Amino acid sequence: MIAKSLRDYRRSLIGWAIGLSAFMMMYLGVYSSIKQSPDLYGAQAMAKFPGALKDLMGGLQDFTSGAGYLQSVVYQLFVPFLFIACAMLAANRAIAQPEEAGTLELIVTLPIDRKRLVLDRFAALALGLLAVAAVTLLVTWVMAEAVGIGVTFDRILAAHTGVLLLGLFFGTVTLAVGAATGRRALATTVVGGWALLGYVVVTIGKSVEAIAWLKWVSPFHYYAEGQPLYQGLPVGDYLVLAGATAVLALTAVLAFDRRDVGV
Amino acid sequence: MTAVVQAEGLTKYYGKRRGLEDLTLEIQPGEVFGYLGPNGAGKTTTIRLLLDVIRPTRGHVRVLGGGSREAAVRGRIGYLPGELALEGRERARDYLEFLGRVRGGVPRARVDALAERLNADLSVPMRKLSKGNKQKIGLIQAFMHEPELLILDEPTGGLDPLVQQEFLTMVREVRTAGRTVLMSSHVLAEVEHVSDRVGIVREGRLIAVENVAALREKAVRRIELHFDAPVPAEEFAGLPGVRDLRVTGAAVRCTIDGRPDALIKAAARHTVVHLVSAEPDLEEIFLTYYSDEERHDDRQESA
Ligand SMILES: Nc1ncnc2c1ncn2[C@@H]1O[C@H](COP(=O)(O)OP(=O)(O)OP(=O)(O)O)[C@@H](O)[C@H]1O
Ligand SMILES: [Mg+2]
Repeated sequence: MIAKSLRDYRRSLIGWAIGLSAFMMMYLGVYSSIKQSPDLYGAQAMAKFPGALKDLMGGLQDFTSGAGYLQSVVYQLFVPFLFIACAMLAANRAIAQPEEAGTLELIVTLPIDRKRLVLDRFAALALGLLAVAAVTLLVTWVMAEAVGIGVTFDRILAAHTGVLLLGLFFGTVTLAVGAATGRRALATTVVGGWALLGYVVVTIGKSVEAIAWLKWVSPFHYYAEGQPLYQGLPVGDYLVLAGATAVLALTAVLAFDRRDVGV
Repeated sequence: MTAVVQAEGLTKYYGKRRGLEDLTLEIQPGEVFGYLGPNGAGKTTTIRLLLDVIRPTRGHVRVLGGGSREAAVRGRIGYLPGELALEGRERARDYLEFLGRVRGGVPRARVDALAERLNADLSVPMRKLSKGNKQKIGLIQAFMHEPELLILDEPTGGLDPLVQQEFLTMVREVRTAGRTVLMSSHVLAEVEHVSDRVGIVREGRLIAVENVAALREKAVRRIELHFDAPVPAEEFAGLPGVRDLRVTGAAVRCTIDGRPDALIKAAARHTVVHLVSAEPDLEEIFLTYYSDEERHDDRQESA
């Protein structure tokens, strides 16, 4: 069952891996030119950006240092969001999409336990995302070496693990909503809303007292707060993400076991 | 012998919409059961309940002596969904192979043999299959692991007459092997030649279960006899089971209730040159049977 799900994911995951890799090559590729013209991209230049936009981009301090550039361009916004989108699309293929298409009906009448079915699909999702993360990690590292970013492999690995955990978290949210309701649109809305609001809360929201506490329910808090590119693996934060993912996966399993399929 | 399907007070509501109301039914091993009813009657609802795709609002059902909630029980069932969806780039053969593996392995030769009988092409990506050809894949996957119980929701939908005949032959073989079949349909004519019993659902209720052989016996038959010379009408009047008698010269026309024995014996006294017996229209009796039932119910209610 895991193998079959992986085969179903294969095309789209390969596509995402290629797309993300191309994105990184492009952006990391221009780093050498940025490094050479610090005045164009340096602190003063960045100061011209409107404050809110800068906040949204994670501050944009220190664009010209290797770690700063890598953080701003790769790990701040684009790659996590692309990875979340990839995870969400893959996770929708687990339950909600086949249910809406009608192909799930035959699958649930096979001699596989329903709990097992959801677990297998979760495992396939995790493995698939792991593969995409591994490929993009390799690309990032090779590119970083090539343009002389000057960040060690273990730091990149730490940041990339965060991307994987964040993607897996939102993928599992998708899976759980899909398993509980069978509605793809609902799962997409929940994930999209949570991700956007969560991101806003930890960027712009940081300075707004009234909503600052919301960061505790924002996955991005656990993703970014530990600054893995600078400080290494934020074990505690990552464990929170992983733990929440496990709880969601369990929820998905129990919810799907309890309900009517295809109504 | 324990029943293969044992439903008691089985009821399903979709929110406020009624799907099935208070179904009590037993299907015995080795039986072919035809499940009939108009659109929206509750056939698919019943079948999905049997397979644990949906859960009953009330009542319960046992299948093959257990609950179909258990994976092992589902492994002994072959299922053709009424709204079969097959899609994707995957070729039919690969999909069947996957299903076979999950079911614990199905010899490839058996799949090929079924495909040949139904004239199905397994090398086509599933999304490119026509409706009838999808239905063939659905039938193959239902039959391929030789399950003890086959549950087929409108199996003949989209099949051409030749393939339909082949399918009916396959059902007969299953019965000969002592296995059980439950199949739904809109019309009796589609299932009467293979079914031992038929049940009719309407508006969520099972309103009649009849033995097909008994039904045939009850059937009204039109019979026409032609003789070599005019015959006296009195000889045919008042024979048991003979109705609507018309004798015109050398021809006798009538309808027969039940056995034609008395009529045949009366006719045997003359020289019969030609005999026409229309196939009994079971559908018709069935319809009268349950419109009577309804009238009966009305009377009870008004009393
Ligand atoms: N998912 C659903 N949500 C709400 N109502 C439903 C659902 N599925 C079926 N129903 C209702 O339950 C009743 C029985 O439907 P069912 O599909 O069992 O009929 P059927 O006998 O299979 O009909 P058909 O011959 O058209 O396939 C219908 O009134 C239908 O509208
Ligand atoms: Mg139906």
